[in-house]
Amino acid sequence: MNPETSHPATRAGRSERSAGLELRSVQRSFGPIRAVSDVSMAVAGGSIHALCGHNGAGKSTVVNMICGLLQPDGGEILIDGEVVSLHSTYEAQRLGIALVDQELSVIPTLTVAENLMLGSVDEPLLLHRRRLRAHAQDLLDRIGLRCSPDMLLGDLSIGERQLVEIARALGRGAKVLLLDEPTATLSAPEIELVFSAVRATAAQGCAVIFVSHRLGEVIELCDRVTIVRDGLTVATLSTDGLHADEIVRHMLGELPAPVAKAPSDRAEPSLVVDHLTTPGLFEDLSFEVSRGRIYAFAGQVGSGASEVLRALAGLYPATSGSVVLDGTPLPVGRPGATRRHGVAFASSDRKGEGLFLTKDVRSNLLVSRLRALSSLGVLRRRRMATVGAEVARSAGIAPGRLRTPVQQLSGGNQQKVLVGRNLADPTVRVLLLDEPTRGVDVGGRGAIHQLLRETAVTGVAVLFASTELDELIELADTVVTMREGRVVAVYDGDATEAGVLSDITHGEGVA
Amino acid sequence: MTRAAPEQSASVTVERNADDRLPGLLRTGLRDPGNWVLFAVLVVAIIVGASTPRFFTIENAKAICASTGTIGIAALGVTLIMVCGGLASLAVGETAAVSGMVFLTMLGHGLVPALLAATLAAAVVTGIQGWVIGAWRANPIILTIAVGSILTAVGARMSSTKAVAPASEAFEHLNKTPLGVPVVVFALLGLTVLVQLLMSGTRLGRLMYAVGENRAAAVAAGLPVAWTVACGFVVAGALMAISGAFSAASSHTITLEGANQLTFNAIAAVLAGGTSIAGGFGSATRTLFGALMIATISDLLLLRGAEVGTQTLVKGLLVLVVVLLGHVRSRRSRT
Repeated sequence: MNPETSHPATRAGRSERSAGLELRSVQRSFGPIRAVSDVSMAVAGGSIHALCGHNGAGKSTVVNMICGLLQPDGGEILIDGEVVSLHSTYEAQRLGIALVDQELSVIPTLTVAENLMLGSVDEPLLLHRRRLRAHAQDLLDRIGLRCSPDMLLGDLSIGERQLVEIARALGRGAKVLLLDEPTATLSAPEIELVFSAVRATAAQGCAVIFVSHRLGEVIELCDRVTIVRDGLTVATLSTDGLHADEIVRHMLGELPAPVAKAPSDRAEPSLVVDHLTTPGLFEDLSFEVSRGRIYAFAGQVGSGASEVLRALAGLYPATSGSVVLDGTPLPVGRPGATRRHGVAFASSDRKGEGLFLTKDVRSNLLVSRLRALSSLGVLRRRRMATVGAEVARSAGIAPGRLRTPVQQLSGGNQQKVLVGRNLADPTVRVLLLDEPTRGVDVGGRGAIHQLLRETAVTGVAVLFASTELDELIELADTVVTMREGRVVAVYDGDATEAGVLSDITHGEGVA
Repeated sequence: MTRAAPEQSASVTVERNADDRLPGLLRTGLRDPGNWVLFAVLVVAIIVGASTPRFFTIENAKAICASTGTIGIAALGVTLIMVCGGLASLAVGETAAVSGMVFLTMLGHGLVPALLAATLAAAVVTGIQGWVIGAWRANPIILTIAVGSILTAVGARMSSTKAVAPASEAFEHLNKTPLGVPVVVFALLGLTVLVQLLMSGTRLGRLMYAVGENRAAAVAAGLPVAWTVACGFVVAGALMAISGAFSAASSHTITLEGANQLTFNAIAAVLAGGTSIAGGFGSATRTLFGALMIATISDLLLLRGAEVGTQTLVKGLLVLVVVLLGHVRSRRSRT
């Protein structure tokens, strides 16, 4: 870890391991289309290597090939200098490849120690409690997670659970640690924890691959970055002195233009929220929202920022206080009734709570406006086709995709479908979005921001929650910062990253 | 290292302009592993049938059709329940039997009023279950078992002194064979078309698929979840009653003895047709073919003198194979 201590013996030890993981011109096609036509990268043991790319650039395909879910059509994958054939996820695990992503594979009802033992090669038939505990403690120390091995995993935060997954990978003797968007659901202090664990893992000789859209994190954490575009490796750069714009330029070929803001003169308030409280989540919130403007709720995980949106959408039955939309009180805890009043919601959990994955793009775009597309309950096919094409156009989705099952789209396009469901819909008066660009790359993010701005211009009040500072500053006209369930401050067009960051990390709530 | 389906990037999407106006088996044909079973069953039935006396006779064809009819109509109801995410009703047989009894006792007022009364009773009882499942996420298995035993008690009381007898001869209309084909077959075909139109051509149908595939997403999108599930169950209950009326008419009485058998056969027919128990996928035409398979197999085994145990075993294996192949299909469609 400390450069001065690397005497010849350890250096030799490292060079033995330094082969790590290597991809040599891997290729993969789906039917007639090449998802990955030539990607090469070499990740030495002990180093942290980022993999970046636009949605649809072939990044997910590369990740899936490394973890054995997909097999390359051409090229080679080498581990420690030897060509391997990863024909299944089991085989990939056996060869020392461990994957950590947002979909955690730890079990909340078992203890930390038991989770660390899960799937381990030398799992004894009868678990020896004391040995298990010692083993777990050792792993936790190695990645720097301070918690008792006897704690139930369900009592840990999401970030800590991720650390447990990393520790488990270490315990299995992983040679390659693949982190796929691990920080997307984490708060700032949790991210720091994960980063130090990742550094500790690399220091023990593991080759780490870090896949992320968050370029700031890439530069902070990684040694090198490989950028893919259109299925090709376009650049491999050292992160020393590298600027995020440089990575974006390689990802897109150009820099996206910033989205214009709303004029500061405002209309009458359309949505009036008075003393809104959901016990345990947020307290005593009052604010007013006008049509045509974009409002951001800034806060870390658990601050109440995204919970406010869920409460407004009617997803918490225990909410008290009043919400009045254009003079009519909104019902509490009844999402169907809320939607009929014109308040639409898009969840941050795209797969679990957003899309109907096996259904096609058109069905997903039209599902909440079927009433307008039917007479006496019978659907009008021609109207569905016209409106479907129209909505797809407003959402920036290619018309050829309308009949494609949503699960076949990239993350960015899936997000466009989720956001698009409530666009160009005259019944929508307030649009609530929780993390509108989660897991979306820079280009896709710009496109979604543009869509939201266009929607606001048509007279819709847009409210969103985000944990990404640059997004808050870039998109919102008004930023509301929250911490521990209370509002810290409201910025009308004068929000700065520094101000928002200090509010959400240690600001005092106003009653 | 468990991962969800690999996310295929947009630029690699193979366009599928599948036309959903031609639903079910014809369109997907042999590409769908779920349909291999249908072809396999057909082939086996022809081979085994050739060596079974009396299998290839007009009389036997009518018998198969009649039993396809009663199983199939009830199975259409189960299809709706399954598609909207309500798993299955385990009270199919009991609901059909009790509404069959209602039908027979009401026959004094004429055929149509008797049918309406039976259908209405079953629709209300089943619809309430649907509402409870849709609004409060009650466990469909436990709830329908409970209702099944309550209905058994009701039915036992209705037939306690003597078997329920028809109040008039009006039921004979249901036993007619215009053009040499039993009425129940026409009823099944007509109802299949209606249910298919309901599922693919109406707002309710689309909502049922959406709620069945991803309930949480339906709630978050503000869709009327409880209403959708309740409506699915209402129609299902009505279909169970029609099935009950036909079997009551054909045997001039109805008892609770065959109830479990009908429940099993109806669920087996839906699964054999390839409708997903997980919800959000399936169709009425699939169930029609599923019912035909189940009825043919039952008939074949009956003619060959197989015991009830053997019959159940064969049907169980069939369902197992179809469910496994359905799993293969859903995995394939994701990659």
